[in-house]
Amino acid sequence: MNRTRLVFVAVILLAIGIVGASYALRGAGGQPLEPQKQQKIEVRVACALPVEPWVRQAADKFNAEGHKQDGAPITVQVIAVDGLTARSRFERGDFDPLPTVWIPDSRYLVELANLTLRQKQGRDVFLTDGEYRARPIAVSLFAWGIYSSRAKVLQAKYGTINWRTIHDAAIAKGGWPELGGQASWGYFKLVVPNPRRNVGGLAAMVAAAGEYYGKTRIGVDDVTNPQFQAWLGELMGAVTDFSSLSAYSAEDLALFGYSMGDGGQLLESDLLTHMAGIQARWQEPMLIIYPDYITWFDFPFTIWMGPETTAAEKNAALQFEQYLLTPDVQRQAVMQGLRPVNSDVSLDLPDSPFTKWKDQGILQVVPRSSAMRSPDRDTLDALLRWFDLNVMQR
Amino acid sequence: MKLSPGQRRRTSQASRIAERRRLVAMTGAAAALAVLAGACIVIALAVRRPAASSAAQPSLRVAYSPESQALLGELLAEFNKTHPKSSSGKAIQIELVPTWPDQMARSAVAGEVQAVCPDSSIWLGDIDAAWSEQAGNTGPLVGETVRFAISPVVIAMRQEVAGSLGYPGKRIGWTDIIDRARSDSQFSWSHPSTSSASGLLATLAEFYAGAGKTRGLTVEDATAEATLKYVAAVEATVKHYGEGELATVEQQLAGGDQRLDAFVVQEQLVVYYNSRSEDKLVAVYPAEGTLWEDHPLALLELPGLSPEAREAFAAFAAFLKGDQAQAIVLHQGYRPADLSIPLDSQGSPLVAANGVDPRQPETVLQVPSSAVINVVRDVWWYTKRHTNVILVADTSGSMDGSKLEAARQALAAFLDSIKGDQERVGLVEFSTSIVRVIPLAELSQNRQALQVAIQDMEAGGDTALLDAVSNAYSQLQELGDQERINAIVVMTDGRENASRTRLSQLVTRIKDGNSRGVPIVIFCIAYGHDADRNVLSTIAKASGGQVRGGDVGSIQDLYKIISTYF
Repeated sequence: MNRTRLVFVAVILLAIGIVGASYALRGAGGQPLEPQKQQKIEVRVACALPVEPWVRQAADKFNAEGHKQDGAPITVQVIAVDGLTARSRFERGDFDPLPTVWIPDSRYLVELANLTLRQKQGRDVFLTDGEYRARPIAVSLFAWGIYSSRAKVLQAKYGTINWRTIHDAAIAKGGWPELGGQASWGYFKLVVPNPRRNVGGLAAMVAAAGEYYGKTRIGVDDVTNPQFQAWLGELMGAVTDFSSLSAYSAEDLALFGYSMGDGGQLLESDLLTHMAGIQARWQEPMLIIYPDYITWFDFPFTIWMGPETTAAEKNAALQFEQYLLTPDVQRQAVMQGLRPVNSDVSLDLPDSPFTKWKDQGILQVVPRSSAMRSPDRDTLDALLRWFDLNVMQR
Repeated sequence: MKLSPGQRRRTSQASRIAERRRLVAMTGAAAALAVLAGACIVIALAVRRPAASSAAQPSLRVAYSPESQALLGELLAEFNKTHPKSSSGKAIQIELVPTWPDQMARSAVAGEVQAVCPDSSIWLGDIDAAWSEQAGNTGPLVGETVRFAISPVVIAMRQEVAGSLGYPGKRIGWTDIIDRARSDSQFSWSHPSTSSASGLLATLAEFYAGAGKTRGLTVEDATAEATLKYVAAVEATVKHYGEGELATVEQQLAGGDQRLDAFVVQEQLVVYYNSRSEDKLVAVYPAEGTLWEDHPLALLELPGLSPEAREAFAAFAAFLKGDQAQAIVLHQGYRPADLSIPLDSQGSPLVAANGVDPRQPETVLQVPSSAVINVVRDVWWYTKRHTNVILVADTSGSMDGSKLEAARQALAAFLDSIKGDQERVGLVEFSTSIVRVIPLAELSQNRQALQVAIQDMEAGGDTALLDAVSNAYSQLQELGDQERINAIVVMTDGRENASRTRLSQLVTRIKDGNSRGVPIVIFCIAYGHDADRNVLSTIAKASGGQVRGGDVGSIQDLYKIISTYF
């Protein structure tokens, strides 16, 4: 081999060596030699199911607009999780990674989580005052949604629709013919979300207790009263299937129609979201009726204050919260059936579901009524235990 | 400057040495570089190897109901065409694992799959119950759940039969079917076993009817003597069970002697049948109520569930709810979960011409708790129509080795699949001669003896197939049991070469016997390539049975499938 060839071979081998070494380094997890980019700030939002589509839509827009915190780009990631499930995952330390923000269905879930976590952490991890306090981003309330043909029969028989008359319909042995409806409708079928999958189910039971006792604050003694439990048991006996009910009860009501449920007390925003689909699929609209005892969900934006969240993440989260409260984003909430918390935004928007479904009973101003108070932890646990033992294992 | 010859020699020598040194140095450097490069390549390959093997691992394993194979298969193929990637840039790979719904709880709690897609949400309670039993109070295993296709369970009925029951003017219910089956011996109907949602619903409907209720069925109702008597009487009218609703529809499409007047399936299969047959079915939505097959795709919140699996689930779930997937769902005759898609849109198969009514059903039966459902499933084994089945097994010389070992395992699996001890099973072995190894008797008496006999089977001799079938057939005809399903399951790997009975004689005997005596259905398994499929087809056809092909790898599953008919 002459010298030229040797040099040529050496150069080739050197090149192979360099390529091989760089390949090996890259394969081993090394980064290619590029200028280091600014670290992004990730805001992970564990979000209650009724507001999740709206928050996700806002997050996508927020991410696309390139918002920054201290010069670093912010990315918002939304995780859909029912409020009760999220509460137990926080309490068990089951989230990995831990969400920066929690938007549960109601403020009382934050209080319940704080109660448990205070014992472990020695302080509140979700604040109720100060800069980082939990603040509502939209509200909604529970209303009766009943297929109009069925609602008319019930109104003709009982005059008004409330938990007591629904209970009477539920226990009618002769089913719909006894109530004045058609035989093909079978027996009266009530939709109540499974409280183990949807906090709305718990809210429905608390509301039923409120009407049963005629008061807004419900305690352990009330829900453990055998007469009340027997009455509630009869009511739950009209639910066709808790196993198939997903966390999205209004969606179930739309998907399976009157075959599965004639109606139920569900979140107004969920009902509004599915009104068009219900009409298209079953050719029959729902009637919306507001109860005397109203349960509100206020979807508080709650920042995790534990050491796992950095100051930059907290401030980035605050930026996103402010973004959700802007008039444009609040209008998007209205279009999804939620009531805005920004007083500059009206429900009376063109194409708003609050305008579109007026004839079906939707009211922009909720009639004078009593708001149900949030029950304490023991009351909720007692209700859930009763549900597990008497309904799921019936 | 002039150099002396000595100087020139020394200079030339020095230059040669220097040249040699350079050469050695360069060669050494080249060799070192080669070693370095080689080492780098080896390292690179070594570092890459785990990545390559992890790419072969699916991101998500989904246990799904085999009945949905056509739909899920097409949806997954379309999903793969989008080349989905995780946030880290890895390709998302989803593996579908066919699993009967009643087996999903076991796979789920064992962590064999990270998601499930049974035919109905009714099975999700089972999974959580099994998880609670195994892991204690750690919260539900079933996590995020999405629906992409639904279909109500209906009674698929021949148009003329439905007309004779008053359809479409009169609403037909479970009790009409039950009354007709009990009063008309010619009426032939079937429902799948309780391993699928449609079979479970049909059984629940019988228990409700037996208890005189339409809701609130309790364990006491389900186990009351009057209810059990009623259900047993109804089940006695079932022609046969089967491996599932799709298989039933395929058999009806294929024609033959197993024609049914009515059978229980999801609505989508009525559309499937009618789009392939001149002879039309109508979907009867039972007056008392029905159930929905809602095909939930559910993530399992197993400890240590990887972020890749979550991402894969989210990507697949989003795809299933998208426009393209929802169009496929409707095209296949399911009702799409997307409510903005009208069921009567142009090209929709959900039209009256296909025997279905998108405004139905009007009511459903109440689904009892998991505890009651489990009791109904257990009790069904005692109330179902019982069976006399003779297993006829080839032990000729050609079966020696792995073939016989696989056959032993398959026969053992068949016995395990038959849970009810009231079923009667017997075993006949054949080679040059025929041996009634275990006489036909209830499994409560001979299950253990059968298991021992199966393990003791040995290969040797010729193949007296026809004599063996004739022998088993005689046993069942002599028994003359009209109450039970009578069947022979015959397995052979070779060609008939030792019988006295001729094929034509056997066929005549089967046809005569089935019309005058007890109807006996013969399932034939052609085991391996050398089995004489023509002879087996002729035997099966004469009895209204089936021939299935199997090999060492599939024989066990085949026996399990056949067990579902009993």
